[in-house]
Amino acid sequence: MTQTLTMRAIEKKLQKADRKHARLYLFCNFIALMIISAYSTLMFSRTVQTVFPKGGDSRKQMYGIFVMTLVGCVVFTIYAARLFFRHKSKQLGILMAIGASRKRLRPGLFREVLVLSSFSAVLGIVAGFPFVWVVWGTFRLVLVDSSQMVLDLDFRCLFVSAAFFLLVVGLACLFAWRYLKKTNIMEVIREEHINEPVKELGRWCGPAGFLLIFAGAVTGYYAPLAWMTLFSAYPPSWLSVLYAPVFVGVYMVMLYTVVYGWGRNKKNPYKNIVSRGMMKFQAKQTVNNMLVVTVLIAGGAFAIFYLPTVGLTSVFRYESYPYDYFYQYPADQKVPGEETVRELADKYGLSLKDWNGCEYISLGVDGNVQVSDEGKKFHVEYHPIQSEARILSEDAYFTLTGQETDVSPGTYLYVTDTQESSIWTDESARNLTNMVTRECLDTEFAGYLHYDLLSNEIGYYVLDNDEYEKIAEGLTDEWRGHIVQFNADGRDSYQFADAFYDLFVSSFDESCEHAYFYNKVSKIVAEERGETYEIEEEWQISYNDTDNMSFKLFWAYSPSFRILLINEHLCLMGVLYMMFLFIFIVCLVTSLVVCYTRCQTIVLNNRYIFDDLKKLGATPAFLSKEVRLQCGNVFKVPATVGTGAMYLMYALLLYANDGKVTAYEAIGLLATLGIVALIGAVVYGTYRGSVRTIMRQLGIM
Amino acid sequence: MLYVKNLFKSYEVGKTKYQVLKGIDFHVAQGEFVAVMGPSGSGKTTLLNCISCYIPFDQGSIMVGGTKLAGQDEDTLAKIRNTKLGFVFQDFMLLDGLTIRENILIPRIIQGKVGKDAEELVDRLVAMFGIGHILNKYPAEISGGEKQRAAVARSLINNPMVILADEPTGNLDSKSSRAVIETFIEAKTKMSATIFMVTHDSFAASFCDRVILLKDGTLYRQLENHGSRGEFQDRLLDVIKEMSA
Repeated sequence: MTQTLTMRAIEKKLQKADRKHARLYLFCNFIALMIISAYSTLMFSRTVQTVFPKGGDSRKQMYGIFVMTLVGCVVFTIYAARLFFRHKSKQLGILMAIGASRKRLRPGLFREVLVLSSFSAVLGIVAGFPFVWVVWGTFRLVLVDSSQMVLDLDFRCLFVSAAFFLLVVGLACLFAWRYLKKTNIMEVIREEHINEPVKELGRWCGPAGFLLIFAGAVTGYYAPLAWMTLFSAYPPSWLSVLYAPVFVGVYMVMLYTVVYGWGRNKKNPYKNIVSRGMMKFQAKQTVNNMLVVTVLIAGGAFAIFYLPTVGLTSVFRYESYPYDYFYQYPADQKVPGEETVRELADKYGLSLKDWNGCEYISLGVDGNVQVSDEGKKFHVEYHPIQSEARILSEDAYFTLTGQETDVSPGTYLYVTDTQESSIWTDESARNLTNMVTRECLDTEFAGYLHYDLLSNEIGYYVLDNDEYEKIAEGLTDEWRGHIVQFNADGRDSYQFADAFYDLFVSSFDESCEHAYFYNKVSKIVAEERGETYEIEEEWQISYNDTDNMSFKLFWAYSPSFRILLINEHLCLMGVLYMMFLFIFIVCLVTSLVVCYTRCQTIVLNNRYIFDDLKKLGATPAFLSKEVRLQCGNVFKVPATVGTGAMYLMYALLLYANDGKVTAYEAIGLLATLGIVALIGAVVYGTYRGSVRTIMRQLGIM
Repeated sequence: MLYVKNLFKSYEVGKTKYQVLKGIDFHVAQGEFVAVMGPSGSGKTTLLNCISCYIPFDQGSIMVGGTKLAGQDEDTLAKIRNTKLGFVFQDFMLLDGLTIRENILIPRIIQGKVGKDAEELVDRLVAMFGIGHILNKYPAEISGGEKQRAAVARSLINNPMVILADEPTGNLDSKSSRAVIETFIEAKTKMSATIFMVTHDSFAASFCDRVILLKDGTLYRQLENHGSRGEFQDRLLDVIKEMSA
C-alpha cells in the first residue's frame, strides 16, 4: 500500500475528493465552449452568410453579438476558475504549511488544471455541434421552414473554437500559476479575511449617483446634435465619453444600495445591521461584481428583447397590408401582365382577385443637401433639383387605395403609413421638375395620406389631377411607371409567390440593376455639375444572386409579396434571433455564475461571523435572513437595473424613431414584459438555490 | 535545539507601525516540552509564525538544529518546514480528501520518502496515541480530539527537531485536550521529541517542563516545572495574575 503513496497518488486522490468544486468549473468551461462552437458553426454556415447581407447592419450585429458572446464566455470561465482555485488554495496552503514548496506543488496543479480545462473544453466543442443542430431544428419546426434554412458545416468555425480552447486552457494555467504564487500560508492557517479598508461612505453617494446617471444620459444623447449645430461638423466618436457619468452613477447607486439600502427604518434603525456591517468591508468588491453582472444581464436583455420589440412589429405591419401582392416597375420594362400572372397562379392552383393598378411618374424634387467639407466639417446646400420623387395623381391614388382625396393646386400630399411611424417623409418640397422638359412646378406640403404599401424609402407624392397631367407632359417611359396590386383568392401559395418573384425579377433589364438608394435624378444633376455620382461598392446589388437577402432588401423595384416578406422576415429574424438567443444564454448563465461565486465568496469570508453569531444565540431564522440579505443584493439589484435599463432603452428607441409608440410597438413592449418576468424567475430561482447551498455550507439548515 | 536571539518583528497597518516582538531571547533544549503563554497581543503567535518560517522577522536570529532561518530562500524554508519542523494547528489542518493514514504520511510523501519504515512509524504512532482504529477513516468521520492526535502523529512522522503547536487544545473539550497533551508527553518521553507550544490554557501548560511568559512583545518571565503539575499550574496562575495587575 505504501509503495503507491506518492505525491502523484495523493494529488489524484485529492482531485477526486475535490470533484464537487471542480464540477462548476467543468460545467462553465463546457458551456462556454459549447456556445462558442455552436455560435461559430452558425455564423459560418451558408444560410447565415446568405441571409445577412455583406456590410449590412444585421451582419455587423451578428459580429457584435459574437464579440459579446466571447467576452461573456471569457468572464464566465474566469469566475468559475477563480472559485475553483479559491477552494484549491486552502489545500495548497495546508501542504505548504507542512513543508511542500511551490515548486513541488506546481506540476500536480498544472497537470490537474490542464486535464480539467482541456477535457471540458473538448467536450464543449464537440457538444456544440449537436446543440446548434437541435436549436436550428427547433427554429425550423416552430418558426420558419424554408429552403433557405439549411445548416451546413464550414470548417472555418473550428478555428474559432480552437482559439477559444487555447484561451480557456491558457487562462486556467495562468490562474494556477497566480494562485500558487499568491497562496498565503498565514491566511490559510488563520482563515482570516483581510478586510478591505473602506472609508465610511457618504450618504450623498446614492442621490449623487442618480444625478450623474441623468446628467450622463442627457449629455451623451444630445451632445452629437449640439456638436453638429454648433460646429457644422460631424460629431467625433470620442463624444461617446460623455456617457461615462452614467456608469459612474450606476456604480455609486449600487454602492449606496449595498451599504445603506434605500428604505430607512426609523422605528428600527438596527434592522439588518449585521448584514450591512459585513457588506461595509466588501462593498467595493461586491459592487464590482454587480456591475459585471448588470452589464451581462443588460446584454442578455438587449438580445432577447429584440424579437418582441423590433421583430414582431414588422410581422404585424406585413399582416396589416391591404393586398397580398404589390409591385411597381418603370414603363420601359417588359413586366408580365395580368394574363401571364393569372396563368402562372393557375399552375399552382391559385386564383387571383382584386387586381388593380395605376400609373406613376418620376420627377426631380428640390431639397437641402448636407455637403461634406474638409475634415469632419459639412455645410448645407439648397439644390433646386436634388432627388427623385414618385408622383401619383388624385385618381391614381383613389384607384389604389379607394381613398378619395382633393389636393389643392399648388400643394402636394405625402403618403405615409397608417401609424404615421415612417421615417421616410418629406414636408419640405417646394419645387418639382420634369426631368425631360425641365418644366417646373411650385408646390408645398399640405398634409399626409395614409397607405402602408406606399410608405417606403422611395416616397410618394399625390398631386391635383390637372397639375399631374401638366407636369407629366413630355415624360418618356423611363420616367413613367406602373403600380400593380392584387390578392390571392383563398389561401396564398408560397410556391406561386416564389415563382412569380423569379419571373418578375427576370423581366427587368440592366438599367434597373440598382439599389433603392441609387437616385437617377441625383446622378443626372451631379453629372451636370461636373461631379461623379457613386454608390459605395458594398451597397451594389446584382441580378446574379436575386435570392440573396441584400438584393431583396435593397433592390429599387423589390416587390412586396406578403407571404414572401413574412417568410423571409421570419427567416431573417429566426437566424438573427438564434444569434440573440445565444448571447442571451451566455449572458444569463455567466451572470448567474458570477452571482453564485460572489455569494460563495461572501460566505467564505464571513463564515466566522456566522459562527460567532450562532455562539451569541442567533436562531437559524435570523441567520438565514442574513444570508438572504447578503445574496439578495448580489442577485436582485443587477437583474433589476440590467433588465430595467434595457427595457427603458428599447421603449425610448421605439419612441425616438418617430416620436410615438405605435399600437404594434406597444404590443411588442407588453410581450417584452413577459420576458422580463421570465428572466426574473430564472434569477430568483438561482438566488434561492444559492441561498440554500450557502445555508447548508454554514450549517444553518 | 531551538535558539531565538534578540528577535524583533513589527507589522504595518496603514501608516501605523506596530512593534510586536521587542528583542526576544530564549532557547529550547532537545527533548524539552516548552509552552509560551501571554495575554492577547503579547506576540506569542507572531513568535511561533516566525519560528515556523511563515513570516519573516525584522531583526535577530532563529536557529533550528543549527540552521539559521534568516536569509533562506523559499525552497529552503519549505525544506526546513518539512524535515526539521513538525506542526500542530488549532484547526487540525487535515486534508479532507485523504484518510488519516495518508494524512499522517503527508510530510513523508512531500519528501518523496514513503518506505516501510514510514509505514511502521505510522503504526507505532497511532498505537501510542490510541487512534489505530481510525487509520482508514476520513477527517469528517472522526472527533476533534482524534483529529488532533492524528495531527500530532503527522507532526512526528519526519522525526522533526522541533514540534510547533499553535493552541492545540483551543478547539477541544477538556477530555480531548488532556488526550492531546498526553500524546505530546508520550512523544517527548518515548521519542525524545522537542515541543514548543503556544497556548492560553494554563492546564495544558502545566504539563510542560517550562513556560515562557510574554508581555507586550517582551519576555516577561520563564517558569520551570520542578514539582507537581497542580502546584506548577498554581504558580503559573499567580504569575499570570501578577502580569495582568
